[in-house]
Amino acid sequence: MKVIEIKNVSKIYNESEIQVRAVDNVSLDFKEAEFAAIVGPSGSGKTTLLNLIGGLDMPTSGEIIIDGTDLSALKSSELIDFRMRNIGFVFQAYNLIPVLTAKENVEFIMSLQKWSKQDRDARTFELLKAVGLFERANSRPTKMSGGQQQRIAVARALASRPKFVLADEPTANLDSKSAATLLEIMEKLNHEEKITFIFSTHDARVVKMAHRVITLEDGKVVTDDVRE
Amino acid sequence: MIWKTAWKNVWRNKIRSLVVISSVTIGIFAGVFSIALMNGMIDQRINDAFNDEISDIQVTTKDFRINNDPGLTITDPEKALKEIGSVNGTGKMVERLIITGMANSAYKSTGVQIIGIDPLREKEVFTIYKKLIPGTGDYFENDQKTNLALIGETLAKDLNIIRYTIDTATISRLKKEGVPAGITDKLQSLAGIKFVSEKQFLKKMKSVFTAAEARQYGPKIRNAAWTFREGARLTLTFLDKDNNQVGAVFRLTGLFRMSNSIYEKTTVFVKNKDLLKLTGLAENSTHQIIIKIDDLKQTERITDDLALKLPGLEVTSWKKIAPDLAMMTDMVQQFYLIFGLIILAALAFGIINTMLMVVMERTRELGMLTAIGMNKKKVFSMIMLESVFLSLIGGVTGMIFSFLVVKLTMHTGIDLSQYAEGFGALGYSAVIYPQINAGFFIIVTILIIITGMVSSIYPSLKALKLNPVEAIRTE
Repeated sequence: MKVIEIKNVSKIYNESEIQVRAVDNVSLDFKEAEFAAIVGPSGSGKTTLLNLIGGLDMPTSGEIIIDGTDLSALKSSELIDFRMRNIGFVFQAYNLIPVLTAKENVEFIMSLQKWSKQDRDARTFELLKAVGLFERANSRPTKMSGGQQQRIAVARALASRPKFVLADEPTANLDSKSAATLLEIMEKLNHEEKITFIFSTHDARVVKMAHRVITLEDGKVVTDDVRE
Repeated sequence: MIWKTAWKNVWRNKIRSLVVISSVTIGIFAGVFSIALMNGMIDQRINDAFNDEISDIQVTTKDFRINNDPGLTITDPEKALKEIGSVNGTGKMVERLIITGMANSAYKSTGVQIIGIDPLREKEVFTIYKKLIPGTGDYFENDQKTNLALIGETLAKDLNIIRYTIDTATISRLKKEGVPAGITDKLQSLAGIKFVSEKQFLKKMKSVFTAAEARQYGPKIRNAAWTFREGARLTLTFLDKDNNQVGAVFRLTGLFRMSNSIYEKTTVFVKNKDLLKLTGLAENSTHQIIIKIDDLKQTERITDDLALKLPGLEVTSWKKIAPDLAMMTDMVQQFYLIFGLIILAALAFGIINTMLMVVMERTRELGMLTAIGMNKKKVFSMIMLESVFLSLIGGVTGMIFSFLVVKLTMHTGIDLSQYAEGFGALGYSAVIYPQINAGFFIIVTILIIITGMVSSIYPSLKALKLNPVEAIRTE
């Protein structure tokens, strides 16, 4: 079943007099619980495509339909609300809130959605256990390693049970051991919670674990390799 | 969670937050304490004016206030008192005779207003009896004696009734008060000299002491050397009912001291029965009826009612007698508002600057929050809360400081004696007792919260304009 439909999407940036086609007429579909990697050289349009799927940016042309909702039809406030309820984000630089503890970072999105304290606590501890950082619940991100911070970021992205997680170069700043641990956790959560994971990555380890690898070059899809 | 995050964000950069909080604290302390000082000064001036000088409403014959003719007495004071008593809101009343004349001592003469009073009834309306300088006598306690006068310290100084003497008793008193031996030794050279005026005494002091010594010990020495002989005499001359000049020798029953040196210098209280005899006015004659009212806010209404009840007489409210006081009471709230707004505006600019820095520093984080689904209203609220927390912490600390300092000084007072002459000429006391009411703190708290909220609007709007994609890329 298609949960993400990308139809003839282009994103053109006007830099001075020159037009840059960051994403060029891309059409893709993603099914439920996919574990997909978008790869390609720097400047190939991976992050732009991910931002378009996440509704952080709007396409110049084409349509993006997520779970039956055309993103271009949503108002700014509706789009923010849509992201909050449906999409989890994992960023290359973790982007945790440094003044909050690991637990507070994870439950932040749930509190925005007005979950009860009981439900928040239950989900937070469940995720902290899943990412292996239950013991560090009350630590601040600044007291954690890069790998641990990214695991907290993954827990935060999954907190409100989104249907999709978009991860932009999640392992780029991690050592190989931390990256492997993180990928194992994400694959396990993908399997257990049936969440669609889409990565933009350069990392061969991510590519190796992905069930589907989409290669972009100059904003165009050059290969779309689905593995069994 | 927004509240918690905003609170924790306040302490993200402790030094910067503490600098902002300190500046808000100092600003609020300065504002609140200044207003408490002004309150204290104004309250003292108003209390003195109402309790010692003019009271609330005065009734006289028409034109008496302009020409002070002794013959312009109220025709039927008994009836007038009855009519006044029937007006709702009037309180205690007292009658006075008022004669303009001269006070003369062996050395000097000066123009004065001689006020004939019934000492016992006067106590019900005025508190001048409480202003008696200890050791100078009493407030007309001896009913048998005639021609007694109560005058102010300034008038006594002007008439050279107050003398300055350095003797062994003065020196030993100064030693007890902790004045060093070096100073008292210098004073020995002045022992036995009687200075007939303060001016002479101060001139001599300047020649004996250095400027620093005179500044430090001058007031103590002057107080110790101050002497007044109870029963000293002065002659009062004035016109009688037929405009013939009359005069009599009066013995001083005591000296009073009040903040208003002009009033002190120009007022002589005598018993009205003595004045009636000397002026030849009929028994029960009175020039003025003074009326206390229950609520000053009712001044206009009561004045109008009295004017209707007393058609042949002039009814004058305190607002007309002392327009400066009326202006002060009317304008003080507006003045405080303007003063407060200036301080709050200064604080607001400080907070805006800080919050703009906060938004710039946290661009990536704010972008991330928008990306994961924090809507504009919540981003706005978070920044607004941070701003309110900053201003509120500083504001409450400032108010606690001001409360403590006001509490500490409201009984001891702040002594500005070196400016006593200037204060006295304006009717103010040189010792200020700051005061502020609890309601004021509530108003200030509300204004601080509003300032915090208003100050956050511009930085919050800046945050809302951030594009999440660009913000997340920010280094």
